[in-house]
This record gives sequence, structure tokens and C-alpha cells, in this order.
Amino acid sequence: MANTVKLEIVTPSKRFYRGEVELVIARTMTGEEGFMAGHEWAVKLLDIGELWIREPGAEANTYKLAAVAGGFIDVKESIIIYTDSAEWSKDIDVTRVEEDQKKAEEWLRTNENTAEDYEIQRAKDAIKKANVRKQVAAGGRMGVKKH
Amino acid sequence: MAESMQDIKRRIKSITSTEHITNAMKLVSAGKLRKARAIFEKTNENSHYITNAIEDLFTNSDDIPDKYLEGGNTNDGTCFIVITSNKGLCGGFNSNVIKEAEATMKLTSGHKVVIAIGSRGKEYFEKRGYEIYRDYTLPPEEITFLEAKELCEPIIDMYEKGEIGRVILVSTSFVSSMEQQVTNMTLLPFPAENNPEVGVGTGKFIDYEPSVEAVFNYLVPKYVEMMVYAAVVESATCEHAARRTAMENATDNAREMLDDLSLFYNRARQAAITDEIIEIVAGSEAQK
Repeated sequence: MANTVKLEIVTPSKRFYRGEVELVIARTMTGEEGFMAGHEWAVKLLDIGELWIREPGAEANTYKLAAVAGGFIDVKESIIIYTDSAEWSKDIDVTRVEEDQKKAEEWLRTNENTAEDYEIQRAKDAIKKANVRKQVAAGGRMGVKKH
Repeated sequence: MAESMQDIKRRIKSITSTEHITNAMKLVSAGKLRKARAIFEKTNENSHYITNAIEDLFTNSDDIPDKYLEGGNTNDGTCFIVITSNKGLCGGFNSNVIKEAEATMKLTSGHKVVIAIGSRGKEYFEKRGYEIYRDYTLPPEEITFLEAKELCEPIIDMYEKGEIGRVILVSTSFVSSMEQQVTNMTLLPFPAENNPEVGVGTGKFIDYEPSVEAVFNYLVPKYVEMMVYAAVVESATCEHAARRTAMENATDNAREMLDDLSLFYNRARQAAITDEIIEIVAGSEAQK
């Protein structure tokens, strides 16, 4: 059995996850990266993306899958992930996500020329988040079994 | 005598209705306190967790960009974040915060900017000619993290641009439902006690990605946002606790006054009866 490491995922309003894991894969600014026990100490920013957690005792290639909206990962003896919001794949309401996405796209179409840069960035982020959430709800980009 | 009896009766009536009102407000506040406290306890655990994680990074790392450290930002301007409530009738809750904020302001020189959360503080500082940079006057217990984030954006902006060199947060912290304490905290620059020698991180290489600058440029605003958000939630809890206590005191006082007054009333009534009897007896004596 592989070594495990303590992982905690926190958002501003709640503790999203806490437990011993074998592997956690998160999307950093430079690409997807896996963290296991004994990883070099690091502080990395996370992009909007998928998060994969492999718990000990899980079947081969089975992961818990969640969508996270950016944040940072702090790797020491234990791993802490802070994110503005996180959602398990099974909790994502796809119709609502699609509504959100439509709203953001609509806004972007009508306001792109007049809005401030940061507002456009925010709308683009919203679209990106919606895409990631849809992808996560559908089982993730890597197409591995989830539970 | 009869008139005084009527006066007392009138006062009893008015105090009784005041007592009803304060008692009702007490019950309402107790309910709101329970709700606010549940949110506060949930947020508190989390936010402390996050801010501690960030503080940990600050104290254990010697790679922090200078501008976030004591002495790194030379501007003498200060931004005060003052968290009060929107409503009164909560004892010394607002005046305590305002007093503390004003005392701190007197000690600092240079340009002062106020970010007022809660209309009480806003009105007070507005009247006294302070520059209110931003305000938030919606019910504090319903603030969302997003709103807190938007409130904090200009602060970070001003700090980065060097328009201010210090950010101070004045709010109330929750000790128990009977006790609240005014706290005064410097959010930025980060206190100079930063000493890599003491930290666990001594000599340990930490991999920052994409870069040290980028990581701290993300973490510092996040830290401020978290602190402000947590402080607003905490302050809302304190407000309800303070109001509950104030209303309880008011109800108790009203009851005490009612007791006294009913005693006076009975005395006055007895005196009136005695007077009447004396008159009757005197009258019948005169008949003899």
C-alpha cells in the first residue's frame, strides 16, 4: 500500500474535505500535477480546474472528482488546498451551470466593448468555471472511474 | 392626592408598554443571535484555518516581497476598516468600536481613509469630515464572501499603488454571548516579527509556482479578504449579543421601575382613602 498524506480542502464557508489520501491531482498554473506523501514543500497557485483525489483502499484507477475555482495548494507534511469554491462531481447541477454560462456569455457579447478589463476577465472566468464544472459532472477530462 | 394617583397610573402604563417592546426585542435578538452564531462558528473555524495557513507561510518564509513587510511601504497614509452595525439600541457596541477607531486615528499621522462597514460608523466619521472611501450598509449577517472581496479590492489597490502604507481593522470580537471585545488589528504590512530562524521552515526549500511574487500577490489580498469577511461575520454575532444584553437590561430596569411605581401607587391610594376617612370622621364629629 502506498504511503498516505493528510489532505484538507477549505473554502471560505466550509471545510470541503479532510482525510488521508494516496494521491491528489490538481491543476496548477502550469498544468496538472499530482501530489503524494513526501512531496517537496511547495506553495502553488491553482487554476480553475479538476481535482482528483485517490483515497487509500480505493479500487485501481478510482478517484473522487471535484471542480475547484482556483486557489492555492500548500504542501508540507500535510497538504492544504484553499479554494474560493469547490464542488463534488455528483453535486453539480448541470442545468444551473448551463444557465450561468449562458448568462455570462450573453453579458460578454453585449458588454465586451464597453466593460472594464476586470469585468471582462470575471465573465471569462465564469465561462471557464462553467466549462470545468460541466466537464467534471460528465466524469472529467481524464475519463477515469470515479466514486 | 387623586391627581398624583392618576399620574402614577399613567407612568405605569407607559413603562409597561416600553417593557413589552424591550422584551420583544430581546427575544428577537436572541433568535438572531442564535442564527448569526451558527454561521459565525462555521466560518470562524474555517477562516482561522486559512488565515493561519497564510500566516504560517508569512512567518516561515524569507521570500516575501518587501512591500508587504514592516518598513517596506514608506507611505504614511492609513486605511481604517471600521466595522459597526446598522442599527442602534445595542448598548456600547458601536460607540466602543468608534472610540477605539478614533483613538487609533489620533495616534497615526498622515492621510487617513475610512472604509465603513455598517451605517453607524459611516455616519459618525462622515460627520467629522473623514474621507469615507467605501461603505457597506446592508445587514452584516448576510454578507457574502464575494461582497467582502469587492470591499477589499480598493484597499489592496491603494496599497499596491503606494497610496496608503498601512491597513488597520477595528472590529468587535466575540468572547461569549455576555462579553464582546473591541479588537484593533494591523492587516498590512505584515508585522515585523517575521523571523525565519524560529519558523519550522528553516532551511527548507519551498517551491513557489509560478513565482514567489505571483504567489504572494495572490495570498496577501486573499488574507485581507478572509480577515475582513471573518470580522464582519463575527461583528454581526457580537451586535446581536450586545443588543440582547442591552434589551435584557432595559426590560429588567422597566420591571424594577414598575415595582417601585406600583408601591407608590398603592401608597398614594391608601393616603387618599385615609384622607377621606379623616374627612368623614371629622364631619360626623362636627355633627355632634
